[in-house]
Formats: sequence, C-alpha cells, structure tokens
Amino acid sequence: MTLATFRLTRIGPAVRRLHLGAACWLFLTATPALAHPHVWVTMKEELLYAPDGALTGVRHAWTFDETFSAFATQGLSAKTKGRFTREELQSLAQTNIESLKEYRYFTYAVIDGRKQKGAFNEPIDYWLEFDPKKTELTLHLTLPLKSPVNARQLVIEVYDPEFFVDFGLADGNPVKLVGARPQCSVSTEKPYDSSFQPTPNLRGLFATNEANVGMGMSFANKISVQCP
Amino acid sequence: MKTFSRFLKLPDNTLFVVAMLIGSVLVAAIVVASASPASAQTMPFGAARDVSGFAGWVLSKQAIFYRALSGTILAAKNDGSALWTLMGISFVYGVFHAAGPGHGKAVISSYLLANNETWRRGVTLSFASALVQSLTAVLIVGVAAILLGGTAKMMGQAVRVIEITSYGLIVAIGARLLWVKGLGFLRAVAALRDVANDARDHHAIGAQNCAHHHHAHGAHGEGTCDNQSGLFQRHHHRSPVHCDACDHDHSHGHDHEPDVLPWGHAHGPEPQELAGPDGWKRGLSAIVAVGLRPCSGAIILLVFALSQGMLWAGVASAFVMGLGTAITVAAIATLAVSAKVFVRRFTTNEIGYGGVVVRGMEAGAAVLIMAFGLMLLAGYMASERLVGF
Repeated sequence: MTLATFRLTRIGPAVRRLHLGAACWLFLTATPALAHPHVWVTMKEELLYAPDGALTGVRHAWTFDETFSAFATQGLSAKTKGRFTREELQSLAQTNIESLKEYRYFTYAVIDGRKQKGAFNEPIDYWLEFDPKKTELTLHLTLPLKSPVNARQLVIEVYDPEFFVDFGLADGNPVKLVGARPQCSVSTEKPYDSSFQPTPNLRGLFATNEANVGMGMSFANKISVQCP
Repeated sequence: MKTFSRFLKLPDNTLFVVAMLIGSVLVAAIVVASASPASAQTMPFGAARDVSGFAGWVLSKQAIFYRALSGTILAAKNDGSALWTLMGISFVYGVFHAAGPGHGKAVISSYLLANNETWRRGVTLSFASALVQSLTAVLIVGVAAILLGGTAKMMGQAVRVIEITSYGLIVAIGARLLWVKGLGFLRAVAALRDVANDARDHHAIGAQNCAHHHHAHGAHGEGTCDNQSGLFQRHHHRSPVHCDACDHDHSHGHDHEPDVLPWGHAHGPEPQELAGPDGWKRGLSAIVAVGLRPCSGAIILLVFALSQGMLWAGVASAFVMGLGTAITVAAIATLAVSAKVFVRRFTTNEIGYGGVVVRGMEAGAAVLIMAFGLMLLAGYMASERLVGF
C-alpha cells in the first residue's frame, strides 16, 4: 500500500496530464470545422432596387469550378453531348435550390450594422447555365428580401460557414446596383486573392502560400452599399 | 493506354520521390501539431472561426492540392508524365487530408486505446480502413455513375445511406466496448476498494487481494491483473481465466509488454495478435465502420476523371490518396498506442490504482467512440458533405 501510494503521488500528476492531453488531442483532431473546400464558386452579384430607392433583393450568378461542374452534371442527358440547355438542367437547378435552403442560400444581410436572420424569402427565379467551352455551370437565382430595405448603409455577405464551398467575387466589377439612386456607391471586400490558379507542378504547390487560408465568416465576401 | 506503359517506368523527374520524402516529414509534423491543443480554435454553431498557424496551413495546402488534382488530370490527358505528378499530388493530398475530419483517426485511436491493441494492429487497421475508403469511393462512382448512369443526386443519396450505416456502426462499437470496458473499470474500482480495506485490516497485500478478489468476483481478475489486460482478454474467450499477477508470476506479462511498440524488445508478436480469428473479427467491424464513409473529394474527382475519359487515372489517384491517408492515420494511431504504453509503464505493477487508471482510460476511449458516432449521426460533427448544391 505504501509503495503504491508513493508511486502514485510521484507519477499521478504526469499520468493525469498525459491522459487529459490525449483526450484533448483526440477531440481536437476530430474537430468538425477543419474541412477544406470542395467546391469553388465565382460570384457576380446584382442588387435590385425599387423605384423608391429600397433594396428589394439580390440576384446571384454563381459559377462553379470545372471539377464540381463535371460532378454536378454527371448522368444528366443532353441532346447534344457536352452542351446542356437550360431545360435539361432544370431538374438539377431545382435540386440545387432545395439543398441551398438548408444553408440559407449562403446569403446574409447586415442592415444598419445589424445582422438580419432570415432576411430573404425563397428564390423567385432560378436556372442553370452551362458554358460548353469552359465546361462550367452557372447558377442564377434571385433572392427577394422579405421586406424591402431603405437603409443608408447595408452589407450583403456571401459565405459558407462550413467552408465546404469557397465563394469568391469575380474579377473586374462583380457587383452591380440595379435601379439604385445615383448617389449610392458600392464597395467589396474579398477574403483572399481569388486569382489562384491550379498548377500541375508539385514544387509550385508547395511554394504557393496565398490560397484560401480562411474559414467561413471571418473571410466572408462583403458587399457594402452606402446610400447617403 | 499509351500513358499506362509510361506508368510502369520510373519517373523521369524526381518529383515523385521528393513528394514521398516530403510526405513522410509532413506526417511527423502533423502528428506533432495534432498533439498540440493550440493548433486550432473553433467555435461550434457556425460562429466565426479563426484558423491560423499550422491548422490553417494544413487546410490551405489541402485546398491547393485538391484543386491541383483536377488540373493534373487534365494535364495527363495530353502528357503521360503528368500521371506521375498526379500520383505524387494524390499521395501528399492524402497525407494532408487525413489531418482533416472524417477519416476516422479519432475513432481508430480510441478503438486502439479501448481494446488495448498493439501498434502493429493499429497500423494494419489504419491501412485497411483507408483501403476500404478508397474502394467505397471507386465503387460508388463505378456502380452509381457508370453502371447505372446515375446523377450526382443519386451518388449523394448513396453516400448518405453509407454514412448513416457507418456512423451507426461506430456507435455500436462504442456501446459494446463501453459495456465491456465499463464493467472492467467498475471491477478495478471495486478491487481498489478491496485493497484499501485489506490494507486497513493489516493483511498482506498481494496474496490477500488475490484471494479476496477470486472470492468476491469469481473468476474475473481484471482489476488486479491490469498488466495482463491484453492477454486476459484473449484468455477470457478461450480458457478458464487465469491471473498471472495473482500467481506471483509477473514475467509472462512483462515479456509481452514491449511488442505493442516497434521500438520495444526484439520479441515478435504472438501470431494471434496479427491474424487471430478473434482479432480480425474484432478489427473488421472497426475497419468497415471507419472506412465505409468515402471521401467526398475522391468521389468528385473520380466523376471529373470519368468525364475527361481519364477514369483509370482517377482510380489510381484515389488509391494513392488512400495510401497517404493511411500513413497519417497510422502515425496518429501509433501515438495513441504509445501514450497508453507510457501510462501503463508506470501503472503495470500497481495493484488496484494502476488497474483503475488503465481501465478508466479504456472505458473513456469507449465513451469517446460512442460520442463520435452519436455526434456524427446527429450531424453536429459533420465530417464532410457531398452536396451543398
């Protein structure tokens, strides 16, 4: 008994620490959030305004990367091989929209600094478009705001909190204000350099550092509109 | 098919070899980083996440390699030597990707801890489950996409069914282990109480404890024979239970201690430890439970390869990816086994206390397995999803 007590007081804390450490480590390595993106989306956005200057909705045009586009169009029949018409893609578009509901269409509105929950209604129109040259799918969808907003300052954010989908604004002028008052101005904030190009060169891959090191919201694409 | 004759030759560039070397170094780095609790800070329920440092670096590399895979498949259409690059990237991607969720390293590690498995079995389990994982991805694409001409939606549904089966199996394994190991833990606690009582009564510890133990609990000597737990388990199914510690014969137990680690004594593992019918039956459920859930990335890439007429390159890539995954999981599993051996080194000779620590660890690991399974089933710990669209 004395021996046992002695040994235990000597090594007890170390064992406990180790045990605790092992448990922590097991939980950490199982952390749910550490998935990397499997889908890349290049966004072009239109903000839709009513004649009275209120924002009524957002029109997304989301272009998927070639790999995911190939996956998504798998098994779909097309009259002309490799060219999908809007009609042929309609059932897929329907599936997309149904799946997106669970994720609130990845679209969030911040009005006068306050984040709105469930600001958008279900999409009023949506369709898919296939670019046969680039073999890329583009999903068009219009999300109407539940109630039009006449705010001096608002932000639309697009991101996937789980970062399975990596959203990035297109180059150039990816955001258009449609029907907004002329004094309104728009600015965007990109989470990272989306000009990242896949390269079939291993050395290049290890040298590249600027790729999407970011997760969900902290790297959200922000579209800010000021209407003074 | 011309490309495949090249495939059999050694690569012209050294890229492939370099990739393998880097991969091995990375495994070590990942193990070190996974063991450091500060590597990632996460908040549940979609709150802001800040992933930086090593975890962020691993993530960014995963993303880069994943994207590069499809680019390389395209490049390989025209240039056969790109196939070697593809294999290299697939391997490194696998190594990195296993550091992410959904590859069962937590389940495998907990399973090894709970079952008192050896290092060799841990490595075997890691490789077998990674192989099953690659196979599932290839089979889903092969059957759903090629044979049935199914859509992405169909594959998504197939994955969902497989996923639920797999998570259910994990819960079942955890529950079974918890039943067995929980009882062992309770027995160890009871034995500890007996030791305390005996000591108060001024009896000799060892002999009295054994006598008392056999008397009180019939043939079950787990609590007092904690250094025999591995052997005990096997004996449990085969022969009348016997307890070396109580027979005052410790040598047997000590001889077996080192072969749970590769750097132990040059004492080979017992045959039944590697391929015993019991062992395989036990391991198979874990292999299937962990390996069943295919990697979303592998499925998407396989379909992409199919669309590019490069299916075989995709299949090869999926298996090489599995190899990389297996190496990371095996490294982490080894770490788990080492941790337990380390604990047991300090506790094997203890009567009572050691048993409580080791049994507690095993029961805790069983609880972890069940918790992982339940969280996966409940969708809180979403490992990966196949469709967001």
